[in-house]
Amino acid sequence: MIEFSDVGLRYGNGPEILRDLTFSIEPGSFHFLTGPSGAGKTSLLRLLLLSLKPSRGKVTMFGEDVSDLSQDRLLQMRRHIGIVFQEFRLLDHLTTFENVALPLRVLGQPESEYRPNVTELLEWVGLGERMNALPSLLSGGEKQRAAIARAVIARPKVLLADEPTGNVDPELSSRLVHLFAELNRTLGTTIILATHELPLLDKFSYPRMLLSKGELVIHD
Amino acid sequence: MIERVAGLFNILRRRRGAAPIVPEKSVAGRTLLLMITIMSFLSAVTLGGVVLVQKSAIAWSADVGRELTIQIRPVEGEVMESNLRTAVSLAQTTPGVASARALTLEESQKLLEPWLGAGLDLAAIEVPRLVVVQLADPVDADIEGLTRNLAAIKGASLDTHAAWRQQLNTMAGTIVLSGLMVLALIGVATVLAIIFATRGAMATNREIVDVLHYIGASNRFIAGEFQGRFLSIGLQGGLIGAAAALLFFALIGAAAGNMLSSEAGAQMGVLFGRFALGVDGMIGILAVIPVIAALTAITSRMTVRRYLSETS
Repeated sequence: MIEFSDVGLRYGNGPEILRDLTFSIEPGSFHFLTGPSGAGKTSLLRLLLLSLKPSRGKVTMFGEDVSDLSQDRLLQMRRHIGIVFQEFRLLDHLTTFENVALPLRVLGQPESEYRPNVTELLEWVGLGERMNALPSLLSGGEKQRAAIARAVIARPKVLLADEPTGNVDPELSSRLVHLFAELNRTLGTTIILATHELPLLDKFSYPRMLLSKGELVIHD
Repeated sequence: MIERVAGLFNILRRRRGAAPIVPEKSVAGRTLLLMITIMSFLSAVTLGGVVLVQKSAIAWSADVGRELTIQIRPVEGEVMESNLRTAVSLAQTTPGVASARALTLEESQKLLEPWLGAGLDLAAIEVPRLVVVQLADPVDADIEGLTRNLAAIKGASLDTHAAWRQQLNTMAGTIVLSGLMVLALIGVATVLAIIFATRGAMATNREIVDVLHYIGASNRFIAGEFQGRFLSIGLQGGLIGAAAALLFFALIGAAAGNMLSSEAGAQMGVLFGRFALGVDGMIGILAVIPVIAALTAITSRMTVRRYLSETS
């Protein structure tokens, strides 16, 4: 599904942030992406999200070399990728329901069509009662569950999560990772979850990708 | 008033469906609405002024074009009254002439009063005399034939007021052209203000733009969302500005009719047709609404597309 071959990334004329990355991700798998701050986790996620192009090497996603793709094709491929951020990035003026429905609205679906699906997903992530609440009224855990629901509502093939447990307590972190695991198991979504919380890595036995100074030192 | 109308539009928007992705308050709403309202008002007033001047100029020109004046200067050995009768007769037999009559001495005296003063006995002085000729149809009138025939009367000349009409048309044309230039400048200023407002709104809503990109929204979709907000503001501003301009012309018309003395009012009426815009003038002013709205929407869409292509 995803293949990196000798990939390097630099911003402008600066030093290489990522070096010689070679790995592959199989469909339906779950990977932790870990490493110390500044190791390049977010840059690697941005490459996977197709918001950056590699400075060198080859990135293949869904069977296509992403370096030569047109803007339209890149957009189509990006719609197969969901993203969850540490800081949630919900739109403050929209309700939980409207935030989660946003990807379907962007795809042009009418509300009558997506309302049952969004409602069902919100209930599944435990936000059925908070559907009409604005993000400012949600707790950290609720915000992150809403962000996860928004990321998966359009059924992406790959779900990227950038430190999704960074703003919640350890117990909630564990519950959120269980939620990702459940999504992986029930929907078959490929998940790459970036975190630097070692207890989480010990608690779940998913393969790890360890980045250090821009290089992939472990990929099991 | 502006806020009430804006509120009504917002209510209508909300009833239509889901909340707007670009928040209504973040698009420099009130300031931009006020600016577009002022620009719409200025455009509508300029347009109305141009219509008034043009209509008056056409009316003046048509009135003057229907009248000719035969002037008969006193010539030694010629009998003025006889020449006057001949001139009237020649004019009346010319094709296209509706009527012709010589001004009496009293009427000539009145015409000279502003220069020579009242109570003058013209019988004591030899003054030129005039024959007023009304044309039935200025296009078909045989003016050249009349000019040729008048050559037989010593001291007679025909004044078609062509030079005066030419000056009038030039003056009206200059005013209309100036008005159109002012309209164009208002348009340019509006476009520039919308560009700055759009770029400001994009910077303010950078987070929304990023999120939309991350969830797979195309630049076209994002531009459409911003365009929708600006179209709404443009419609509101255009509507309020045009309504204010119509009110302005109604008040000016009423003031010209009631507040000025009857003589001054009559003179203003001759000049500006009593500020009556007419149906075409009102249509022109109402046309400002969709034009301003379209200008706002198109400018904002192009600015957003450019901004997105620069930043993505």
